[in-house]
Amino acid sequence: MKALVATVISLALTTVVIGNAYYQKKQFYPSIVYLTNSNPSMAVMYLQAFILVLLLGKVFRRIFFGQLRPAEFEHLIERSWYAITETCLAFTVFRDDFNPKFIALFTVLLFLKAFHWLAEDRVDYMERSPVIGLLFHLRILTLLTLLTHADFFFIHHAYQFTTSKGPSVQLVFGFEYSILLIMIINIVIKYTLHTIDSRWEAPWESKAAVLLYTELIINFLKVLLYIGFVAVMVRIYTLPLFAFRPMYETMRSFKKAYNDVVLSRRAIRNMNTLYPDATAAELAAADNECIICREEMHSGAKKLPCNHIFHAACLRLWFQRQQTCPTCRLNVLRAPAPDTPHAPDGVQPGNVPLVNVPLGNVPLGNAPLGNAPLGNAPVGNAAAPPPAPNVVPPPFPNMPPPPMMGWGLPPPPPRPASLATLSAAELQRMEGHERRNIEARLQLLREIQAMLDASVLLMQQYSAVVANLPQNSANVATQTDTIVNEPTPGPAPVQVKTEPEIAAGTSSATPSTSAAPPTASPAHTQHTDVSSSDNTSLHVDREPKTETDADAEELRRRRLQRFTTAK
Amino acid sequence: MAGSALRRLMAEYKQLTLNPPEGIIAGPINEENFFEWEALITGPEGTCFEGGIFPAKLIFPPDYPLSPPKMQFICEMFHPNIYADGRVCISILHAPGDDPMGYESSAERWSPVQSVEKILLSVVSMLAEPNDESGANVDAAKMWREDRKQFNKIAEKLVRKTLGLPSP
Repeated sequence: MKALVATVISLALTTVVIGNAYYQKKQFYPSIVYLTNSNPSMAVMYLQAFILVLLLGKVFRRIFFGQLRPAEFEHLIERSWYAITETCLAFTVFRDDFNPKFIALFTVLLFLKAFHWLAEDRVDYMERSPVIGLLFHLRILTLLTLLTHADFFFIHHAYQFTTSKGPSVQLVFGFEYSILLIMIINIVIKYTLHTIDSRWEAPWESKAAVLLYTELIINFLKVLLYIGFVAVMVRIYTLPLFAFRPMYETMRSFKKAYNDVVLSRRAIRNMNTLYPDATAAELAAADNECIICREEMHSGAKKLPCNHIFHAACLRLWFQRQQTCPTCRLNVLRAPAPDTPHAPDGVQPGNVPLVNVPLGNVPLGNAPLGNAPLGNAPVGNAAAPPPAPNVVPPPFPNMPPPPMMGWGLPPPPPRPASLATLSAAELQRMEGHERRNIEARLQLLREIQAMLDASVLLMQQYSAVVANLPQNSANVATQTDTIVNEPTPGPAPVQVKTEPEIAAGTSSATPSTSAAPPTASPAHTQHTDVSSSDNTSLHVDREPKTETDADAEELRRRRLQRFTTAK
Repeated sequence: MAGSALRRLMAEYKQLTLNPPEGIIAGPINEENFFEWEALITGPEGTCFEGGIFPAKLIFPPDYPLSPPKMQFICEMFHPNIYADGRVCISILHAPGDDPMGYESSAERWSPVQSVEKILLSVVSMLAEPNDESGANVDAAKMWREDRKQFNKIAEKLVRKTLGLPSP
């Protein structure tokens, strides 16, 4: 209604203006000259031209698209506003050759652009429309042919003009129509894909992938064009501000397309390597329905580690967005954790018993053997309390931290990829290793606990004894400070059989002298040894250290060394 | 074959027509366009919305069911989880990643397993038990917490309005 009123008003105005001119000059040429020289008349003429273009646009739209859907219309209006603002910005760059022809060219460009957008929207809509009639195909094909010809014509024109007369505003047109041509190519590819898809009864699985790659390539071409255009414009004119927004958007969509491709590839790779195909029995158990597309699954179904079954194609699309099971939200990348980093492409987890590799190298199973006496020793001490206090410096200062360090070192064995993928034999084998290792570990832990219990007991006895021999306190304190820091009270009576003279003489400088227990002692001096192959196995050094400070020094040095290697 | 989104929507429409859940009617506004649905939801019994029939619009994205639809009531609503313009704010309508209220765990977000039926059932239970942590409508949330009587009064007025009855 508004459009009609505007058209009528503009027509009336034009008639009045032309009539006025003719009335005043009475002849054709003088009237034309009068019209072109009078600004108000020209304004009216421009308005009339504008209205005519809009009317023409409506007619073409009617012919090629019929009624526009509301979404399409909104889209068109939104894009038009951007395009008009950018055209105005372009005018500022080329304000020197600003003339009616120039404006007409830009109007034609906008006009054609609008039809490109509409064609794109329409073709996208194909996928969502339940019925596609013959008329639709006819319209789209004619429109695409016409648009392609128009684009080619203008590109050619721009090229001729630029080569013959040097760079001008035609550069912009050449570039804009090239972008539009790329858009047409994209639309044609999409149209072909959708048409082929609509002819097939079964869903076409690889269509999504083809679309994805098309998007990537098209966006890449666009980005190249934009960069080239901006470079040329900067060299010849100035910064083409009007191209920045579309350039930014193109780059963004290129980045998105690239990410999509990467994610999709990862999803496909994961699906091919990590998840088994569902068997017919499993499909039957799951009602044969893929919960994503609500259609029956016949083949190409995949089973996730959580036992949920989906179409491979549906899963791939979902995994591009999120790497979780649609049903239970199990993180499918994290679930078989060790697999993703370790397994190279194409390696079936079932074939490589990943779990065994690290465990086999770490002779955990051996550890308890070496440890056996270690565990027994303190227990023996605890069982025979009377001699224990005699051995004033028990072996503890030497012992506790290193084994713990050694323990913490080997990384926890990776969890099996997905047990479901392994055969019974493999499971058995894996279980065999696992069980032995776990048993070894458990035993080791038990021994450590026994040792700790024993040491606590010993400490109690020790402090009891210390309380009784205050004279020896200085010596004792230095030796035990790694374990207990409780201050020992005053002087102690010389009661114990250790050589108090030596202790007093050497004092704190060489606590290790007395740390070396007599050979007869039930407690053995132990220290862990870092063997070349692994650092978890324990060796018991049964050699009594009755000798000199050098020995103790050596001991300390090695311990330090182990600390550093352990880290 | 048409696009997967369209096929899935057709399947859901068929399912909803054959076995409609109680108190819910839903379907495309126009069978030419399966991406815009209208739904009628009856207020759950035993709540302040009891008896009301609330129309809503569902807009599906082209990549449904990978992305969630949008739902908007087209009648006047007063509810802590419904925006003033009628948009519904429940967690299963939010794609994982965007969290307008910052409180939802991804476990309750959209996934392709959800469906129109589940959305509408969630909305029914949302009507029955508003979640006043997500303040889509802060006034309503506040009133729900502090002045339940007044809230019930407004709800009753809305119910009468949807039924075309004059306010008492």
